[in-house]
Amino acid sequence: MSDKLESYLEEISHFLSGKDEREEILADIRAHILEKSAASAEGAATAGTPDDAAIERAIAAFGPARRVAERYLDQSRPIIAPAYKRFLFRYTTLLFAFHVLLTVFGVIFKKDFVLFPFVFMPRLGVIEALMYLPTAFLTDLGIVTLVLYIITQSGKDIRLPWPKFAVDINEVKPPVLAERIFIGIAAFIMLGITDFLVYLFIKHGSVFFVNLDLKNLKPLFMPAAGQRLSLILIAMFATSTMALFIKIITKSRWVDIISDVVSLGLIGLVLTQPFENLFAVHIEERLIPKIRYGIKFLLLFIAVMITIDLIKNIVILSRRKLAQTR
Amino acid sequence: MTEKERTEQDIGSLETEMNRGFLHILVLALLEKDTYGYAMVKHMETLGYTVEENTLYPLLRRLEKNGWISSKWDLSEDRPRKFYGITAQGRSLRAALLDVWKNQNRVLDQVTKEIRHV
Repeated sequence: MSDKLESYLEEISHFLSGKDEREEILADIRAHILEKSAASAEGAATAGTPDDAAIERAIAAFGPARRVAERYLDQSRPIIAPAYKRFLFRYTTLLFAFHVLLTVFGVIFKKDFVLFPFVFMPRLGVIEALMYLPTAFLTDLGIVTLVLYIITQSGKDIRLPWPKFAVDINEVKPPVLAERIFIGIAAFIMLGITDFLVYLFIKHGSVFFVNLDLKNLKPLFMPAAGQRLSLILIAMFATSTMALFIKIITKSRWVDIISDVVSLGLIGLVLTQPFENLFAVHIEERLIPKIRYGIKFLLLFIAVMITIDLIKNIVILSRRKLAQTR
Repeated sequence: MTEKERTEQDIGSLETEMNRGFLHILVLALLEKDTYGYAMVKHMETLGYTVEENTLYPLLRRLEKNGWISSKWDLSEDRPRKFYGITAQGRSLRAALLDVWKNQNRVLDQVTKEIRHV
């Protein structure tokens, strides 16, 4: 028996499932290829006995192994039914949003969150949280895929719930001139603020002060903390400024997504700042816990807003990608 | 890609879709007399119809699974051959499919005539 034929059948076998069925399919293909190559050998010197070249031609005519195997596989029921494909992105986005929120809570409050047996969110630092999120995304995607797979395989017509707040995929249109002018003005204002902050930082080593007397500014924070927080604030403004400038030419959601992710990372960095010995001015002892919680609440609120925007942008992008691939 | 190439590609993919149903009827018709896969391919070629081998065999398998055709190996020759033949259930299916096809043909004929008169 030709080695070429056996290795071809072996390759097809690799893609097929079910031992008995596989053997039957391979027997069919083997019989056909031998028959065809023998027929082509008739009249030749090897009359009726297929040689390697004839077998090779018959194999080539039968087609690549994977394609052949796919023809035998049952394609009547896909892994996820087309009607449920859009829910893969929708539900993954929702689940991931929930994960991101829990992560933000975990980072801010430095506590474990347990919702046995569904959620275990250990206490995370900012870096750990940033490393954790991609893993969480893949897990969410896997869970949603599994659920949709089970629904598809059940063969039942299940109406999956989805709230009406879904955004329109046609929401993203190229910026018109008026929009460009508006975004341009906003970008220049932001650039002005960023430049002013950089100027203050270079001259005074901080951008946080307790008074507005430019000739005699008194810093709000201790030098090291002030420097760190100032750089983070400048980075936030610079990110928004760059995003606005890019949005003059394009309204790609990627710009918003990257800007949101960077902003969330920067807020995370702010949250890692120890509160002890932070202020360079005297603050009454009893006020310090209130200020601490006030700042945390404010940062949390900003983080939640950015997260909502991030989720919204991911949903729009996913839906547009899905619409394009249909 | 030129307009002509795109049209040819479109025709190719639509033809594949149209062939799917046609091939079912054709195979069920050919199997009135027991025959094996390679002989069917050659027979179709003599009729002016080329079938991809890797389409025919999976189709035969599906038809057999559904009980519309049956098969048995013939080991009496030098090479083993798997002979297929239509079942009673397959004949009923073939008759129904031929009715569908005839009706589609009639509709198309009618529409084509109407177009000519416009």
